[in-house]
Amino acid sequence: MSPDEEFLTTLLKALNASGVEAIIVGNAGAALQGAPVTTQDVDLLVRDTPLNREKLETLSRALGAARPAAISELTTAVRITGAAFPIDILFDSMSGGLQFASVRSRSREVAVADVTATVASLDDIIRSKEAAGRPKDTAVLPILRDTLRVQQALDQSGGETPT
Amino acid sequence: MAAPSVPAELAWSSAHAEDLVAEVQALYERLRPRFPEMDPGDLKLILECMLRPWGTGRGFFLRQIRPGVYVP
Repeated sequence: MSPDEEFLTTLLKALNASGVEAIIVGNAGAALQGAPVTTQDVDLLVRDTPLNREKLETLSRALGAARPAAISELTTAVRITGAAFPIDILFDSMSGGLQFASVRSRSREVAVADVTATVASLDDIIRSKEAAGRPKDTAVLPILRDTLRVQQALDQSGGETPT
Repeated sequence: MAAPSVPAELAWSSAHAEDLVAEVQALYERLRPRFPEMDPGDLKLILECMLRPWGTGRGFFLRQIRPGVYVP
């Protein structure tokens, strides 16, 4: 298992143990569905509740990381720093006006080792990147759109994706 | 007697990689006519990433070691 696979497996187990319902969004979510992309962090979408805030502190402790802290004055998102890679937490919605409940309803379950990851649909990840519009988002859109088309073709033919 | 449990990274071998290549090629030949405008290399890369089993050494992350320089 590569260090990256090991980290993602550890993160998913810690998420399960903490009890926080999180959807993996962004490039990490796309990569878990087979998109040939890389990332510098993991983005998680969660509901903003006091209990979830507590659970995220439990998660950060389990990962040997610092408590979640504000990323900047420009966003309500927080970052868990000190794990192998940064983990960014988006509360309630993500770019494109995509709300937690709607993203959850379209999400996919991906088997990762002996745990399951809940990942946003490629369609939602693409929509959020289109809305964010930063150069690093627009740069990956062509390969994400190609991946979505391949995923849809495989789904229509009986599903040979790992999801 | 049950087969011993072998960690994926130890079980993954050239033979498994050859099987993966064959599986990717079969799907590629089936899908290629549907996506004539898609870069053939990208199509094969997407299929490989979709089909490669977890635990066989795939990289997901890049680290920035200094401005403009990234390493897996």
